[in-house]
Amino acid sequence: MSDNQHSDSEHHEHAHHEHAHGEHAARPGNQLRKELPAEVPAPAPGAGQRPVPRPEGSLTGRQRLVKGLWPPRLTRPQLIVALLLFGLGFGLAVQVASNSDTDSALRGARQEDLVRILDELDSRTQRLEDERQGLEKQRSELQSSSDQAAEARKQTAEKERQLGILAGTVAAQGPGITMTIEDTKGTVQSDMLLDTIQELRAAGAEAIQVNGVRVVANTYFADAGKSVSVDGNKINAPYRFKVIGKPQDLEPALNIPGGVVQTLEKEQATVSVAQSGKVVVDALRQAKQPDYARSSSQ
Amino acid sequence: MIAVLGLVVGVVAGLLVRPEVPAVVEPYLPIAVVAALDAVFGGLRAMLDGIFDDKVFVVSFLSNVVVAALIVFLGDKLGVGAQLSTGVVVVLGIRIFSNAAAIRRHVFRA
Repeated sequence: MSDNQHSDSEHHEHAHHEHAHGEHAARPGNQLRKELPAEVPAPAPGAGQRPVPRPEGSLTGRQRLVKGLWPPRLTRPQLIVALLLFGLGFGLAVQVASNSDTDSALRGARQEDLVRILDELDSRTQRLEDERQGLEKQRSELQSSSDQAAEARKQTAEKERQLGILAGTVAAQGPGITMTIEDTKGTVQSDMLLDTIQELRAAGAEAIQVNGVRVVANTYFADAGKSVSVDGNKINAPYRFKVIGKPQDLEPALNIPGGVVQTLEKEQATVSVAQSGKVVVDALRQAKQPDYARSSSQ
Repeated sequence: MIAVLGLVVGVVAGLLVRPEVPAVVEPYLPIAVVAALDAVFGGLRAMLDGIFDDKVFVVSFLSNVVVAALIVFLGDKLGVGAQLSTGVVVVLGIRIFSNAAAIRRHVFRA
């Protein structure tokens, strides 16, 4: 509109007018500018603007605006403009309303836009799919590694139990024999008991206890007056051995001619050996932390 | 005053009625609205300048809308619809800004 009016018919004045306003200079040739000082309520003294008497019938833009707004007049131009503005407002509201509907956001889009959006969605889907595959692979790797870790833990626990039986830190049960040495005359000495242990070990005994003392690798036997000391614990006759191992190996090993049983009976002791399907070796021993020796396996 | 009332009534009617925009005119409506806005600002400026003419306003309003829609239509047919409508919006936006600046000078004298 402005161009229709300004650039078609009054192009010159339009340019001039813009220029004058832009520079805030009062040009004598500019009619609009000239009448401005009359409207300023109190012109600054020495502003360099001559108060010019307003020409008859000429109003400022502000006055025209106020005049156009009030009082309302039912003139033809007003009605026509109102009609057009009604159309504008209607279109504006409709467009805003349809644009704010999220579900119809794609409805007004052009074909190439839709194709582009589709392409973007496709590539995004592809990207997310790749990411999903990568994450799934990672997950399966983690799962298998955690499975391996659980397996390793299981094996370690198993090994700990086995070593615990050897070290005497856990109770053990299984087939084996029980042997009782009655020593009424007090003739049985520590070396005979030690021979017994050696013989049992040679026959494949896996866990041994004597009168509630677990026999382990560093067990020692010593004479202590009438009785015997095992690892510092005094034990008295009768000596009861609980041995876990293959009973069919252990019993013959004790009974061989010139073996443990014969030697003990020669010393007036009474020996009784009984095979058992279930022998419980429940005497325990504290695991001793070595002061100097360290594992060299790791 | 009647004109302002017309604008307000139009907005209210558009919000209340919420008509389904026909698919044919859907791509052109936003551009047409911007073009009409440009015409309205130009008319307002002309009124402040004291050179308002209702005939010119009507013609410029309608021709702005039609030309804007035509440009978008042509752009769609040529395959550069998105770029052309962007260009139209830019041009109209610049004109709206310059008109608004002129109006501002009239109203606020600054």
